[in-house]
Amino acid sequence: MQRLPLSMITPGMRTFEEVIDSQGRVLCGKGVEITGEMIEKFKELGVSYITVEGTVVKLPWEKNLEEELGELEYRFSEVSEETLLQIKEIIKELLYEKFKKVSSEGR
Amino acid sequence: MYDATEKRKEVKKKLRKLEGVPTLPPIVQKLSLMIEDERVSLNQIAEVIEKDQVITTKVLRLANSAFYGFPKKVSTVNQAMMLLGLNVLKILIMTSSIFEIIHKEDIGLWEHSIGVAACAKIIAEKVNLAEPQEIATAGLLHDLGRVIQMVTFREEYEVIKKIVQQGKEPLKVEQIVLGIDHAEIGAFLMTQWNLPERLIEAVQSHHFIEQAKKYKKEAACLHLADILIHARGYGKTLEDKLPPFQPQSLKILKISLPEIKEIYYRLEPRLYELKFFTEELKKDFT
Repeated sequence: MQRLPLSMITPGMRTFEEVIDSQGRVLCGKGVEITGEMIEKFKELGVSYITVEGTVVKLPWEKNLEEELGELEYRFSEVSEETLLQIKEIIKELLYEKFKKVSSEGR
Repeated sequence: MYDATEKRKEVKKKLRKLEGVPTLPPIVQKLSLMIEDERVSLNQIAEVIEKDQVITTKVLRLANSAFYGFPKKVSTVNQAMMLLGLNVLKILIMTSSIFEIIHKEDIGLWEHSIGVAACAKIIAEKVNLAEPQEIATAGLLHDLGRVIQMVTFREEYEVIKKIVQQGKEPLKVEQIVLGIDHAEIGAFLMTQWNLPERLIEAVQSHHFIEQAKKYKKEAACLHLADILIHARGYGKTLEDKLPPFQPQSLKILKISLPEIKEIYYRLEPRLYELKFFTEELKKDFT
C-alpha cells in the first residue's frame, strides 16, 4: 500500500482502505478502482490523501531499509549516552515494522 | 589575537539595527496595531489579511501542512484564526518571508524546522503544555538564528561551515567565530519583533535548558523535539550527527521511553506527509 496526496492519484489506482472525508464520512470502500470522476469529487470534498494498493509511484526521496539503517548508524556513531541509545533502538524497531508492513502487503 | 567578545558586540549591534536582516512584510505592523486595539474585531483583521493575496496563500499553505495535523482543510483566513489563534497567525505572517529564505537557501534546514515543529506539537500535547500550536511555531523558528547567520553573516557562516566539516561541534564553533550561537541570535531577533516571551525563551534555551527561567518545560520540549528529529534523520542541519543531548529534558517533561516510542509512531505519518509539502514548495522555487 502507498499513501499519496490527491494530486498524485490517477485513474486506475485501487483504494487500499476506505476513503474518508474531513467529517469522517466514508466516500468510497476499499479495493475500488478509482476513476477521474471520483478524483474530482474527492477534490471537492477536501480529501487530501488516499491510500492505494501496491507501490505505484516511485518517490525519489524514499529510502530502503538498508539505507535507513546505515544512516541511523552513522548519526549515532559517536553516541554513548544510555537514553539516546535506547532512542536509537526505538527508531530501529519503527523502521523494521514499517518495512515489514510494506513487504507483507507486496506478497 | 582574535577576540570573540568584540565580535559578539559587533554582531549584536548589527542585529539591533536590523542591518542586513530580512525585512518583515509591511502588513505586519498594521496587523500588530490592530491586534493590540481592543476595538478591532477578528473579522476586520481577517479582512486585512485576505486583501494581501500573497500572505493569505502562504499562511493557508502553512496552516494546511501536516505539522499542525488538522483533519479538516483550512480554506479561509477566518478558519485559520479560529484553529490557530491570533498569536500563531501573526507569527506565521511575520515569519513567512523568513520561511521563504529558508527553503530557498537551505531546504535541509527548512525540512528540519518543520519536522521539529510537528514533533514539538506532539510532545506538547502529550505533556499537556498550554497552546501546542504556539509551541509548534517555536519549533518552526528554533533555528531562526542559523538563517540569520546564513544571510546576514555570510562570510562568517562559511568559516563556521568549514570548521564544522573538520568535525568540530557547531555550537562551539559559532561561539568562537561570532561570539554568539544561533539560539541566542534567534531569540534576540524574536525580542526585536515583540514575539511572546514564552517562545523566545524556548528558542533561546533549546540547547541549554538550564538557561530557561520561566519556561523550562517549553525549552525542554523544543530540545527533545530537536533531538528526536535529528535522531530520525529528517532534514539536514550543520549537525550531521546528533547535537548534544540533555537527559534532564525527559525529567522536566516527565516523559518515559515508551512515551517517546508513542511520539515517534504519531510523528512518522506526519513526516511522511510533510515531505510532499516541502517537495511541492521546492517546485515553486525552481
